[in-house]
Amino acid sequence: MSARRFSRRTFLGSVVAGAAAGPFVWTPARAQGFTWKRFQGKELFLLLTKHPFIDVLEKNIPEFESLSGMRVKWETLPEIQARQKMTVEMTANSGGIDAFFTSLHVEKKRFWKAGWYHPLNKFLADTSLTSPDFDWNDFTPGAKAGVTQSDGSISALAAFVDANVFFYRKDLFGPKGLTPPKTLADLEPLVQKLHAPPGTYGIVLRGLKNANATQYPSILFPMGGTYLKDGKAALDSKEQVAALEMYTRLLRQYGPPGVVNFNWYECSASFMQGQVAIYMDGVNFASQFEDAAKSRVVGKVGYAVLPSGPGGHFSPIYITGMAVSSQSASKEAAYLFTQWATNKANMIRELMAGVGVGRTSTWDSAEVKAKPKMPADWYQAYQASLKIGRQGLPEIVGVTEYRDIIGVAIQKGIEGAPAAQVLAQAQKDFQDLLNRTEG
Amino acid sequence: MSLGRRAHRHAAWLFPAPAVLLVAAIIVYPIVYTGWMSLQEWFASSLTRPRFIGLANYGKIVLGDARFREAVARTVYFTIVAVAAETLLGVAMALLFNREFWGRGLLRTLAILPMVATPTAIALVFVMMYHPTLGVANYLVTTVGLSPFRWTYSSDTALYALALVDVWQWTPLIMLIALAGLASLPREPYEAAHLDGASARQAFWHITLPLLRPTLVVAILFRAIDALKTFDIIFVMTQGGPANATETINLLLFNQAFSYFNMGYAASMAVALFALVMGSSLILIKVRRSTAW
Repeated sequence: MSARRFSRRTFLGSVVAGAAAGPFVWTPARAQGFTWKRFQGKELFLLLTKHPFIDVLEKNIPEFESLSGMRVKWETLPEIQARQKMTVEMTANSGGIDAFFTSLHVEKKRFWKAGWYHPLNKFLADTSLTSPDFDWNDFTPGAKAGVTQSDGSISALAAFVDANVFFYRKDLFGPKGLTPPKTLADLEPLVQKLHAPPGTYGIVLRGLKNANATQYPSILFPMGGTYLKDGKAALDSKEQVAALEMYTRLLRQYGPPGVVNFNWYECSASFMQGQVAIYMDGVNFASQFEDAAKSRVVGKVGYAVLPSGPGGHFSPIYITGMAVSSQSASKEAAYLFTQWATNKANMIRELMAGVGVGRTSTWDSAEVKAKPKMPADWYQAYQASLKIGRQGLPEIVGVTEYRDIIGVAIQKGIEGAPAAQVLAQAQKDFQDLLNRTEG
Repeated sequence: MSLGRRAHRHAAWLFPAPAVLLVAAIIVYPIVYTGWMSLQEWFASSLTRPRFIGLANYGKIVLGDARFREAVARTVYFTIVAVAAETLLGVAMALLFNREFWGRGLLRTLAILPMVATPTAIALVFVMMYHPTLGVANYLVTTVGLSPFRWTYSSDTALYALALVDVWQWTPLIMLIALAGLASLPREPYEAAHLDGASARQAFWHITLPLLRPTLVVAILFRAIDALKTFDIIFVMTQGGPANATETINLLLFNQAFSYFNMGYAASMAVALFALVMGSSLILIKVRRSTAW
């Protein structure tokens, strides 16, 4: 796995090199060790994204200001607009952004290839820049892999880790003696038993193109499918056909009407309205289900890991992180902020607010256990999913374009087109995209 | 020569100069720049610079890209459906409001309200109304005995559902322009026709419509240009879906530019859309000048 490239050896190597250089090269910072106040008086500008993680973080930024003596200014935009602003600012080489919140599942390779992430490997290995209690190895393997590029460079520090899980209505399962499915083979018969329209529909998954591409791997991965085989498009494999067949059949036969254009918003709305028995989506939506002001199913929702399949047991995960801009004039100061934003104390705050993070230690922290915001099975399902986490989308430059390609195939499938036929077209378009952008 | 005299001599170009410069900066420059960009292969990034590829982007949109061809056909179809419905309804409403009746002023004001609303806000409201199980549209449809529709939630009906929003919002514009046209019509031809024993229907077909034609062509021109480049309601309501069923040129080029960051390719689509709007406007203007329908 690519994360391992930042191994203990390289870490120790650079520490030793630093220590060896120490006596001969006089650097005041190194002599003093780590201090948050090192860049006192500097000003940072952050580009942030509207996101539950950021909602929690923003409230604590003044704390960082007094800790570091720096002044922090920031702008929080919706994800798409933030990405557009980022692209414009970076293409124009404005240098106005010091650190930014990045959706790695979409931006990882594009931004890396464009040279917008400042690699953090050296900073992480530098004991004068990284707080002794930061502990890089506290991040789960999936979270580390998610922020590490194919050449071993670390592009960001993992912040929020989303995992797809299985939501179900305990009050509908209980009386029929049903339990969450262990395998994909159990899923369809189960959905069939619960399907009683128009009161209750068996299942809901995202149908809207592009959005559906993040949910499709919940079926595709256990089916044994992959996006790429030896660097070539693999959308027409028999595992792909079986997976798309199943995903679309479930929605066509047991989904609520109009599901073909449902984004997460419509999906969670129908689940919270009590119209649907089973819903598979990102684990973070659960906090709404348990909010009595928004949901009619408070306390009735069970949480479980996704079913496994012939190809194995996976949970598609999506990682966002804090990154340092390669165009920043104060990269080291910006790194202090990214480090602070993803340190243990802040991650515990996130978890207590119901935002999942990829730091192992936080899950067992006494604070979280004492005041759980969510039901116990939510924490269990989340933690178990992180252990079987796999990056949910292909790590390519044209992620958005890929999502549209597979997204349209899924929508055509839901509307009744044969899986093999729509995937043949998708395969052609996807390979064309790879030829254009990956060369 | 004194400064004052020199300024006086050159007043003809000195005074309009600021305005000309402003127009050049905010209109001419972006158009020329877009044309220039359309000749490049450029993925927005700071490492790879734009690469000049001549007319290759145009070759691709004309010959290679089925998605673009479908988008063109869809854009034209959407425009024809929406504008035809708006013209029929708009003229009918204008004829109605051209008569004297009690409460006319109030009703006329109410009728033009949709035009004043923000398209994005309207689109959001229609999204809720169109929801297949929770929306009010299907409730209304079923109360008059029809079976429920999928509206924007099926690729068979989505384009029509969007056209309906456009019709709802923009019919009043055609009505307003047609009303102005009706008010300016001369009375004499009607009196002559009346004396000759023409029926009301004959008067409408042979006098009102031909006289109204230049006004109507202007109204249709305005609406057609606008409908060809509709973006907001489609972006908010369907994002081009389901399965690209409502992806017009504008949606496609937005995706190319700001989702895939294919700037050069998107620019060539923008130029193509510009040519389409320009071409259809020229045809309509020609229709207006010619004497026969």
